[in-house]
This record gives sequence, structure tokens and C-alpha cells, in this order.
Amino acid sequence: MRTISKKICLLGDFAVGKTSLTRRFVYDLFSDKYISTIGVRVSRKTVAIPVGGDVVELTIMLWDLGGSEEFNLMRASYLRGAVGAVLVCDLTRPGTLDMIRTYADELLSVSPGAHFVLAANKCDLIDHQRLAQEHVESTAADVNAPYYYTSAKTGDEVETLFRHLGRLLIA
Amino acid sequence: MSFQGHAMDSTLSHLILRNCEIAYAITDDALTVVEVGGEGDILCNDHEVCLGQSLPDLVPELVGLEDVLADILGGDLPRFELAWANRETADGQTIYLTLVELPYRDRTGQIAGILHVAQDVTEMGMVDRQLAQSRNELRLLQDQLTRQNLELAAANAELRRLDELKSAFVSVAAHELRTPLAPIRGYVEVLLDEEVGSLTGDQREYLQIVERSTRRLLTLTSNLLDVTRIEAGQVELVLQSTDLHALVEAVAAEYGPQLEGRAQPLTLRIPSDLPPALCDETRAAQIVGNLLSNASKYTPRGGRIAVTVALAEEDGFLEVSVADNGVGIPANDQPRLFDRFFRAQTALLTGASGAGLGLHITRSLIELHGGRIWFESELDKGSTFHVTFPVADESALTAIEPARSAET
Repeated sequence: MRTISKKICLLGDFAVGKTSLTRRFVYDLFSDKYISTIGVRVSRKTVAIPVGGDVVELTIMLWDLGGSEEFNLMRASYLRGAVGAVLVCDLTRPGTLDMIRTYADELLSVSPGAHFVLAANKCDLIDHQRLAQEHVESTAADVNAPYYYTSAKTGDEVETLFRHLGRLLIA
Repeated sequence: MSFQGHAMDSTLSHLILRNCEIAYAITDDALTVVEVGGEGDILCNDHEVCLGQSLPDLVPELVGLEDVLADILGGDLPRFELAWANRETADGQTIYLTLVELPYRDRTGQIAGILHVAQDVTEMGMVDRQLAQSRNELRLLQDQLTRQNLELAAANAELRRLDELKSAFVSVAAHELRTPLAPIRGYVEVLLDEEVGSLTGDQREYLQIVERSTRRLLTLTSNLLDVTRIEAGQVELVLQSTDLHALVEAVAAEYGPQLEGRAQPLTLRIPSDLPPALCDETRAAQIVGNLLSNASKYTPRGGRIAVTVALAEEDGFLEVSVADNGVGIPANDQPRLFDRFFRAQTALLTGASGAGLGLHITRSLIELHGGRIWFESELDKGSTFHVTFPVADESALTAIEPARSAET
């Protein structure tokens, strides 16, 4: 069994659910209370990923970055060494999808081969969704990322999302 | 390689480090921690345990930054800083650290390892987080408000569209109803005038009912057309200098038969020296007529009605007041009296005809003139309605006329 560590970032506008997705994935926890993240919170989770006939033990270092633009200047130093990112948008706030390309470009500028997955988050808020699937799909295609409708609240597709990124990282 | 003697182990250094909540670790060139000092808990609970560990094992933020550390060791990067690194303490609290990686040089000045410095900036971080939190919550609220405003605007636009559709329908319907009314009324008059033969008493009575009903229907269709025109902004006034004395007398004469029929004596109080008003004669007559008609309708047989014209308290305006000693308007109905299709409870009880459009039209017309309308009323004692018209500025009118003539 191979053992490797990879650094990934969670990128997206404020309050899209980056911290909640991380907490759901790492600790299987969720809180409805919104608490802003400033700076960066690093968590780690090890997942076993089958590759061919082997299994790779991948330790994912998750960098949950504050989404407020006040931290834009520091973001470059946070992004160093990241080989992938979960791009997160909020299905109830269309503007958050429009920024996805910018975040992807930011990471690509410091890590040209970076891999992405797109989390269209808060899919549990069905009545408040304001993003058409075609729009999500085209944005995902634009940044060459598979996309998932996730819910940190219910846990829908969260594990799948991170595992998909893990597979891309070790491929 | 020995680092003895290089360590910041003086009492003063430790005092500074502790007061500034700074911890440090020094590594060798293989990133193995060889010395730890400063504020205790920031790096690890037990400094002895830290010794011999790999720096990235102690500092998770450095995992994946091996190239950065290599650049520092190679002298290619003088400093690397990570601000606002969040850590969760055992009791679930968040602390904030500023992490700085620097080259550590031995006595000869050669880079011998990494000097890792961690400063606890939780106090400032908490303030910053609170600020960010408030700012973000405000933005979310703003987004929500913007979204709700857009939804409201869309709903408004739809309502406007439906309202326009309704107005167009009412306008067409009123117009189509009105067209056949003219010949009906005309032929009824011909019959009543016995131009095509004499009438029996019953026939006359029935034809008079038809005539009255036709007139009511005509008034209703006129009012509906007026409302749709007012709402569409299609009412144009032909403003001219108007003698209100003559106008009120003419309206009073027009309504004379109605008032006489109900044995309601009408008193006119109009001084002879009033200046002229600036108004559209037809619309002004409609306004006064509406008020007079209402006074008659809502005053019992034998009641008294008075029309007064005077200079208004407000400079530059004339005031027409129509007073009656009729049923009055209940206090709870008064705020809605000028609403479209609203009829006061007393109006319904008296059985007087009407669609609740007269006062709405009257107010709209008076406001188009630049005047205003108001009333006082007491249940069972009567009501007084007041309207104002602007005074015609004769001097301005005469000043304009020669100039116009000169131009032509």
C-alpha cells in the first residue's frame, strides 16, 4: 500500500459552505450556525483509494480558506503547494458560481497542473435554489472539473466529491 | 552539528517571547526539530516531545510546502509567512497564529536549518473574525434584500400588467355600454315628449324609470371611463381663467330639479368680488357637481345643503365647500373614502346608487388642478367637503397675451 499526502484547498466566496463541507468530510459534523473563517484552517483526513490492483492511502491536507475578499492578498501564500481544489458555490446565490473561474485561475497560476472538483453546495435548500443545472454544468466544464450537487447539511455527495478529487490527485 | 549557544535561552529572550506569545522551533537541514522555545502550548504541549520530530509533522500548515522550505534552506527564499492560521484547541476554541519560516544560520553564517516562529494573534484574530462575520452577514442580508426587491419588482410589473389589462377591459366595456345608451336615451325622450303618440300614466311612469336608469348607467360608464383615463394619465386639462361664481350657479341650476325633487333647499354663499380660478371648466363643474350630487344623495328628504366659495386660507387658492346635514360618514370609513370602489357603510344603508368612484375621480381631478380635497363629517349630523382651485394670475395672463400676439 502506497502512502502519500496531498494538499488541497477549498475555494469559493464567503458563506458558500467551505468550512461546513470540510467538517462534514473530516468529522462528519454539521452546524447551521454561520461562522466566518478568516485566514486558513488546515485539517487532514486519510482515505484509502483503490488504484488498479493496489490501494493508496491518501492523506488529504484540506486548506479551508476564508472566503472574504479581504484575504485575497494573502491567498497566494495559502495556495502554494496545493495540487487540487474543491471549488464551492452556493446554489442559492448565483453570483457565487460566477466567481468559480477566478478561483480556479488563481490556483492554476501558482500550481499549473492543479485538479478541480466543483461543489454546487446547499442542494438541500430546494426551494431557494437559483442556479440552473446547465449553468453549473457549463461552469464546471469551463474549469475542467467534475461537479456534484452537495449538501454539507445532509452529507449528500460530500464523501464522493472528495474521493473523486483524491482519485484525480493520485492518477 | 551543535546548536548550543545559539539558542535564545536568556531570561530576557524568554520573557519577550512569552509576553508576545511567540514560540519557535529550530530545525537542522533535514527539517528535524533540534530546539524549541518560547510560549509553551503554541507548538506542542511538551517541548521535549517535539525534539527530534520533523517540522511538518509538528506544523500541519507546512505539509505540501516542502519546496518552500527547500527554497529557504537553499537561500533562495528569505522568508515565508502564513497569516491567520486557525487552530482548534482541545476545548473547541479557535486560536489564530502567524507562522513565519526563516533561514537559521550557524556561527559561520551558513544556513543550517529553518527557524520556525509562531505567534499567537488570537486576540486580534477574534476582532478580525467578528468584523468579517458582521460584514459577511451584512452582505448576505443585502443579497437577500436585493433578491427580494427583484422579486417584488417582478411581482409589481406583473400586477401593473394585469391592472393595465383590467383598465383596458373596463375602458372598452364602458365605451361599448355607453354607445347604445345614447339612442336609448334619445328615443325615451322622444316617447316622453309624446312626439310619436300620447302616453298613459303607467307608460309615462315606466318610461321615466327607464330614463332615470339610463342616466345612472350613463354616469357609471362616464365614471369608469374617467377612472381608466386618470390611471393611464390620459386626462388633459384645458386650464383657463374661470369665474367660479358663474360656474357654481350653473352647476346648482343643473342639479336644481334633483334637489327640488328631494325637497332639499340649496343655499349659495358666493361673494361677488372673488378673483377667477385657474381651472378646466368642464372638470371643475364635474367636481362641484359630484360633491353636490353626493350631498343630495346622502341627505334625507328635506335636508339642507349649502355651497360656499371663498378665498382659501392657503395663499393663491379659492375654496369651494359643500355642506349638508345628512347621514355623515362613520369615523372608521373616513380614511378610505377616496379609494376606488369604496362605499361608506352609511352610503350602503341609505340605498343610494353609486359605484364608489365619484370621490376617487373628484380627488384625482382636483389634484390634477394642483388643489386639494378634504372633509369634516359627523355621523347623523352631516358632512362638509372642501376643494381648492388655484387663483388665476390675471397679471401673468395679461402679460403673456401681448407677447403671444407680438409673436404671431
